[in-house]
Amino acid sequence: MLSPRSLRNLKRELSRSALAKTGIALVVLVVGVAALAPLVAPHDPTAQNLDDAQLPPLGFSETENSTTTEVVDGEVQIVNETTTINATAEHPLGTDSLGRDMLSRVVYGARTSLLVGVLGTFIAGGIGVTVGLVAGYYRGRVDDALMRSADVMLAFPSLVLAIALVGLWGRAAYRIPDPFVLLGITPDMPASFVLPGTVVVVVGLVNWVWFARVARGEALSIREQEYVKAARAVGASDARIIARHVLPNALTPILVLGTIQIAAIVLLESALSFLGFSGTTLSWGFDIAQGRDYLASAWWISTIPGVAIVLAVIGINLVGDWLRDALDPDIEGEGGGV
Amino acid sequence: MSLARFLLKRGLQGVFVVWGVVTVVFLLRFITPGDPISVIAPLDASPATRQAIAAELGLNRPLYVQYLDYLVGLLQGDMGYSYISNTSASARVFARLPATLELAVAATLVAVVLSIPLGVLSATNRNEPVDYGATTFSLVGISTPNFWLGIMLVLLFAVEFGVFKTSGRGITSARALSALATGNLDVFVSWLTYITLPAITLGTYFTALITRLTRSGMLDELGSAYVRATRAKGLPETLVRYRHALRNTLIPVVTVLGLQLGTLIGGAVITEAVFAWPGLGTLVINSITGRDWVVLQGSLIVIGVGFVLINLVVDALYAYLDPRVVSD
Repeated sequence: MLSPRSLRNLKRELSRSALAKTGIALVVLVVGVAALAPLVAPHDPTAQNLDDAQLPPLGFSETENSTTTEVVDGEVQIVNETTTINATAEHPLGTDSLGRDMLSRVVYGARTSLLVGVLGTFIAGGIGVTVGLVAGYYRGRVDDALMRSADVMLAFPSLVLAIALVGLWGRAAYRIPDPFVLLGITPDMPASFVLPGTVVVVVGLVNWVWFARVARGEALSIREQEYVKAARAVGASDARIIARHVLPNALTPILVLGTIQIAAIVLLESALSFLGFSGTTLSWGFDIAQGRDYLASAWWISTIPGVAIVLAVIGINLVGDWLRDALDPDIEGEGGGV
Repeated sequence: MSLARFLLKRGLQGVFVVWGVVTVVFLLRFITPGDPISVIAPLDASPATRQAIAAELGLNRPLYVQYLDYLVGLLQGDMGYSYISNTSASARVFARLPATLELAVAATLVAVVLSIPLGVLSATNRNEPVDYGATTFSLVGISTPNFWLGIMLVLLFAVEFGVFKTSGRGITSARALSALATGNLDVFVSWLTYITLPAITLGTYFTALITRLTRSGMLDELGSAYVRATRAKGLPETLVRYRHALRNTLIPVVTVLGLQLGTLIGGAVITEAVFAWPGLGTLVINSITGRDWVVLQGSLIVIGVGFVLINLVVDALYAYLDPRVVSD
């Protein structure tokens, strides 16, 4: 898929770009945390403990001033009380309003974000690349019809369409058994992981246009190449030419776009779960939403998952920049953000 | 091809897209589980009652008749009657449209005013602190979910400092501007306290994106042969930068802005949700949770038509910046 020259370019770009190294480090961190969630998380992310609710993160112990009245010797006196809520090492990032461990929730949230991001990108890429290659290869009426329908898709903002589709189709979710728990390595963790199925399909359906545009552009130029003409001359079918000659030569820009799209879909997923249109409650966007009611008393509930999103998306975007700078495909537009 | 013909061609393509949008929106209802009757009918409605409701709503007619009826209604500005909110859908949608437009325009203004100078500054001071600052800002800006940014702004400016309003719209921008014109500063400032945080929330992604595009575009242009030629003939550097390099930089910026319009509208939806801004976005979300079909369809169509119209403006702007697009 990648030529030796491309690999050399990737290496050279990586060795001279501190940003590329940062991006890879962030992505490795997020992927590692997501894959090994039950091992990394200190607590069950769904375990509630109301005695430990709203504990602040380490380094942010909170003092609360409250006044109560007391009757001393028949006189009413106002007593000022200062209570300190100490952060504990047991919950390094604090706890939410139900006493659930924030660090564990952030760790498990990485799973949801990445799974939806990657699976959604594959769906969007599968549809978009097929449409784009067919449109660019056949040109003419096929091209017109397909690309006009892509224009129609583009007229619906992906977030709006995604909200509409998830809202109307329901929020189907699938329980995937967690291998670490199944094998008895981490028996205290949730036995299964919830994959928001509708969301995965919908984020794929609303983002295919970007892939179609890029794939079509590639196909338009590749179909004029000598090797395609040669394949046609020896009688290869159109399907075979597209699959064996056009697609492999169009992969570089698709790879770059796919990377950027993962970032866009991670943002889209967080927006959907923030608005309550998701099938899972273990998601960064969901936690940001539930922390909104406690902004004045527990700022960290909304703040921390957002930092996680920003770091993950920065990491993916930096890797995308690295791939683009090293492989130098011509992509316009970059795909939508939130 | 003249500019007028170019725009006419684009306009016709736009009409086609609008027709596609309307068709998709119409069909959306039929690829969705749950029928519109059960939303209105009482839970214990008899089959006869349900049929009567279907007849009343015209839902027992063939699909193509309903479709044509819907199209004809739309052409007359009729988006149907919502039995859930008991008003005509167009009344609800158009009541909400100005608020969304106001927010989108404010955010775009914030973005354009901040980003283009920042991008130029960054490119002309490459590898200096201002460039690192601008590059870092744009990387973080395009990676930050705007709803979270909104909440952080609320936390900082409303909860901690108590400066800005965090919910609702106050008065309309038209009234705010006329208050400014008549010297009624208090009214104008009160309007500002409402719109500032939502506009920054929605505008940050675009500020970051355009800064990034302007920077890389300027770097390309400033290194190109024609810029060296203009410099060689002794043109002042200011003219070289702003008259030549910046103008050519704006071409890809405008292209991407046109493509990203959907992101602006989508971003407005969620920004409205954060700040309880009474626009189309909150209407879309409410009509989905309330199963208010007709209003949802109307909102989606207005959003789609708005997208097509603004894209026509972008096309005109594009043709002005790069006359070559008209000729081919």
